[in-house]
Amino acid sequence: MSTIAEKINTGEKLLPSLEKEQDLLSGSEAIRVIRRKGVDSFSKQGLPARKSEEYKYSPVSLLFKPELALRAPIQSPVLKTRDIDSYRIPQLDAYQITLVNGFFSPELSALQLEDGMISVSSLSTIPAPLVPLFTKHFGNYASIHADPFTALNTAVFADVLFISIPEKKLLDKPIQILNIIHADSPVLISPRILIHVGKGASVQIIENYIYTGKSSQVVSNALTEIVVEEGSRALFYKIQDHCTDLNLISTTQVLQKTGSHFDTHTVTLSGKWIRNNLNIVPDGEHCETHLNGLFILNGAQHTDNHTLVDHRKPNCESNQLYRGILDDKSTGVFNGKIYVRPDAQKTNAYQSSKNMLLSDEASMNTKPQLEIYADDVKCSHGSSTGQIDEDALFYLRARGLSIDSARALLMLAFARDVVNTIRIDALRTEVERLIEKRLTK
Amino acid sequence: MAKENQLLEEITGSEYKYGFSSDIETETAPKGLNEDTVRFISAKKNEPEWMLASRLKAFRYWLTLEEPRHWAHIQYPVIDFQDIIYYAAPKRPKELKSLDEVDPELLRTFEKLGISLEEQKRLSGVQSTIAIDAVIDSVSVKTTFKETLAEKGIIFCSFSEAVQEHPELVKQYMGSVVPYTDNYYAALNAAVFSDGSFCYIPKGVRCPMELSTYFRINTSGTGQFERTLIIADEGAYVSYLEGCTAPMRDENQLHAAVVEIIAHKNGEVKYSTVQNWYPGDKQGKGGIYNFVTKRGICLGDNSKISWTQVETGSAITWKYPSVILKGNNSVGEFYSVAVTNNYQQADTGTKMTHLGKNTRSTIVSKGISAGFSNNSYRGLVRIAKGATGARNHSQCDSLLMGDKCGAHTFPYIEIKDKSAIVEHEATTSKIGEDQIFYCNQRGIPTEKAVALIVNGYCKEVLNQLPMEFAVEAQKLLTVSLEGSVG
Amino acid sequence: MHMLSIKNLRAGIADKEILKGFNLEVKPGEVHAIMGPNGSGKSTLANVLAGRSDYSVTDGEVKFNGKDLLELSPEDRAREGLFLAFQYPVEIPGVSNINFLKTALAEIRQYRGLAPMEAKDFLKLIKEKQALVELQGTLANRSVNEGFSGGEKKRNEIFQMAVLEPTLSILDETDSGLDIDALRIVANGVNKLRSKDRSFVVITHYQRLLDYIVPDFVHVMFDGKIVKSGTKELALELEEKGYDWIRKEQGEKIEA
Repeated sequence: MSTIAEKINTGEKLLPSLEKEQDLLSGSEAIRVIRRKGVDSFSKQGLPARKSEEYKYSPVSLLFKPELALRAPIQSPVLKTRDIDSYRIPQLDAYQITLVNGFFSPELSALQLEDGMISVSSLSTIPAPLVPLFTKHFGNYASIHADPFTALNTAVFADVLFISIPEKKLLDKPIQILNIIHADSPVLISPRILIHVGKGASVQIIENYIYTGKSSQVVSNALTEIVVEEGSRALFYKIQDHCTDLNLISTTQVLQKTGSHFDTHTVTLSGKWIRNNLNIVPDGEHCETHLNGLFILNGAQHTDNHTLVDHRKPNCESNQLYRGILDDKSTGVFNGKIYVRPDAQKTNAYQSSKNMLLSDEASMNTKPQLEIYADDVKCSHGSSTGQIDEDALFYLRARGLSIDSARALLMLAFARDVVNTIRIDALRTEVERLIEKRLTK
Repeated sequence: MAKENQLLEEITGSEYKYGFSSDIETETAPKGLNEDTVRFISAKKNEPEWMLASRLKAFRYWLTLEEPRHWAHIQYPVIDFQDIIYYAAPKRPKELKSLDEVDPELLRTFEKLGISLEEQKRLSGVQSTIAIDAVIDSVSVKTTFKETLAEKGIIFCSFSEAVQEHPELVKQYMGSVVPYTDNYYAALNAAVFSDGSFCYIPKGVRCPMELSTYFRINTSGTGQFERTLIIADEGAYVSYLEGCTAPMRDENQLHAAVVEIIAHKNGEVKYSTVQNWYPGDKQGKGGIYNFVTKRGICLGDNSKISWTQVETGSAITWKYPSVILKGNNSVGEFYSVAVTNNYQQADTGTKMTHLGKNTRSTIVSKGISAGFSNNSYRGLVRIAKGATGARNHSQCDSLLMGDKCGAHTFPYIEIKDKSAIVEHEATTSKIGEDQIFYCNQRGIPTEKAVALIVNGYCKEVLNQLPMEFAVEAQKLLTVSLEGSVG
Repeated sequence: MHMLSIKNLRAGIADKEILKGFNLEVKPGEVHAIMGPNGSGKSTLANVLAGRSDYSVTDGEVKFNGKDLLELSPEDRAREGLFLAFQYPVEIPGVSNINFLKTALAEIRQYRGLAPMEAKDFLKLIKEKQALVELQGTLANRSVNEGFSGGEKKRNEIFQMAVLEPTLSILDETDSGLDIDALRIVANGVNKLRSKDRSFVVITHYQRLLDYIVPDFVHVMFDGKIVKSGTKELALELEEKGYDWIRKEQGEKIEA
């Protein structure tokens, strides 16, 4: 129950610097107009209030300290190719793209693209023939009015990574994006990506979130829009591993056209405070969508996975599979929403969220929601939270395993539901290795 | 599809059976709400000073609140709280010596509702014994079997009487589970509540009969704000039933009740509701706004509180019968069937707050939406730190009949103890055409097949109701869904 | 006088015609077996006769005891005495078998102008019929088909048939998925119900069932109509030679 006049716009203190930033940022007139709309929308919304339903379990007020700057002290920190070598995935042959503080860095990328392969550009280097495509899609799907962080990113993004996969292009190897945040003082970074997957194309993308700074007050507010055109297929992996101490809001907005297939994995192993917003709109018939997520938290980590699948057309299928393991004082949130609009008859939508608490100090909040407006549908969700199966643990120990390795084995098995669905072999092996490292103390 | 829609539109819905209004001489407070209204109600009831003070405190707090409008999945016009009559009572002599002194029209009213206020009679065809407290508009008109119960030390009377006769119990427990600060309507209720039932089951006593309150809104323009308080002392048991109806009127009438249950060590309370307030007509005109706060606390170890509700009435239902599981090994249960048809809206569910060790809760919710209605389950399962060994299992199913209604599930699960095991499952589906055809092939017409299937779907919940209520509830389900074949 | 008379029946699902001029006449007391390869339209026939709305009839007529069957709603067909033992009986959670049958029987009796059966008599009837299909008492109290094994579901169909006492029973692949014991029980149940007033149309893919339920006539269905009729020996011939020779014969006919 809210009492009258409890309206503290915690975003207000950001407004003056947002305004100032408008003149400093580069970009065409059209881009300036888009940013201006972002500023206006953010000034109306402010940061989510303490009682905001969407941020109920992830209050943001502590992230936005007054000393938070809106740009990194040095725009292109001195990173060498060898600095990022350690973030590459062993055995993974990929088109590798590097973003540093939201800026596309061709020098640190390894692309070697042939003609007609794919197009990778930044805001200032979009090839002329692709400008109409960019203009048509950019900023059109993630609504600045629906979420203040979308508005905030739109207000201050400095660069855009634009990846376009041409029609019918079946990409031979994955694209890997290293989204590096490199800052040592409190700063808000707003990386922005637009990926367009042309009709009948197929692509696999891995995005690694990396933080190389020392401050624990850096906030990355990343926004990625993905358009999956008719009959195309996109697999999108978000790996949040090298980001200890980072505060991250990562929003992914996906539009799926008729007959398309979109699979995504969100794997969170490190990060101080992470909010993943994953909004999928299958806006055509016969779309298939899979959302998988795995988070393994310890220390005082906080991870909030918000998913929304907005079924608008008939005959689509969506599947959500999330697993969480929480230790120490960590907190986890899973808020999954399946929305079935009146026209979306014959929708099949499933959701499963299972969590394991390892410590008395850890906590998990789950909110799996169904909002259904069509009758000929099959929708279900299952959610459970518990601890390690003591009987199984005992069984393993009776077979000679130490308690630690028995626990690790069971947790690995628990995580494997999600890991097994990773389709890139090198990535799956790497994720398995990371998990094993994490779970074997 | 086309055939379904045709069927849906063709078959007309059934009429609300309890929609008559009775011409009973009534005394009402002037419309509107201010401190004088509160004083008027208190004075009418000849209340002690402490009660008036408690009402005024709640009223002043209510004034500082904003009407909650946004979080629930319901929509309705702004309520003008100055356009409501807060007190309406059938006129009667000061002291009722016998049933003969009750207005005969009032007796007829209850007879029409199938409820006999004469102790030798029973609910039609029912063998078991039920003690009834009948509440019409703002006051309790008659409580049956009072003397029989008194022999066992059981107190079952109207709330007003309890204030006069058992002030120490009222003072001790009123507001202890639902404080006036709890929410907007709880504050309003604490300020203007008129009557309701009070039960106290002493230590070690198993109440020999079902206790029941029958609520009836009669007078136009009134709100009903009753308050019920049930206390099971150590080792006591009671099964309590609640039923309600209202006349058919074009206006929306507000019903904002508060129910508090306290179960001491080894005590058990089973609370069953068949809610059948007038739901409004087929166009969604009229009907009761049912904004109710119901909560129980399992105070002592091994205590148990069980809520069973069958919600078929009201234009809007907005209630979450909850249990605070404080005592170790205590048990909370919530069994619910909520049916919405035409333009009804329901946002209902429960909160299970686990504080004690080895506490267990079960939630079974069956939602059925038809017509243009919206039906939401909203629930919270909270396992507090230190509530070791807590268990919860929730099952929320939604059935959709027709393609113009909505079914929604909003479960909140908050876990702060690693030893907790919490499971939640939810499904949404439509009534199976195969099932209907199977019934047809055995000679059962579609309407009846739907009733059969729906009753089967709700069985887990209906099984929790006392026999006579279960029969009534089954009939209600059938009636509520007539004309909604999908 | 025929109990069932099907003339030139054409029916299908969506735009696909499945029954292509089907003819059959059944007299009271007769048992007809309809055999045929998968996809020949056997189950469609059963569903069309029972009145499933997914199928549309485009031509032909069906008389049942002199009445136009196709004009009747599915429940009225049942009340007139037509019973379909489903190939895949559905589950109805929470509705007990007993309650289900009581409702069905009351509806059928009411249609025929009979008073509802006394509870005592009904229970007696249930007990008696249960024994007929060797169905355990607990099954009758369980929800309709819920958690039943395949064999139990089929036995439950025959049990319902025994209780409702239809004049015409259509058994749609009742033998599929049954082990030999269950098959024997089901067949026994049917045989005990055979009488001079009651007829059966037994749809099956295999001859096996016909060892137990001996038919008066055997028809071979192919591509939506009956292509060959005979007595029980025809079934044995089919068992021996398979359906290929029918297919061949039909192919030749079409070519010629």
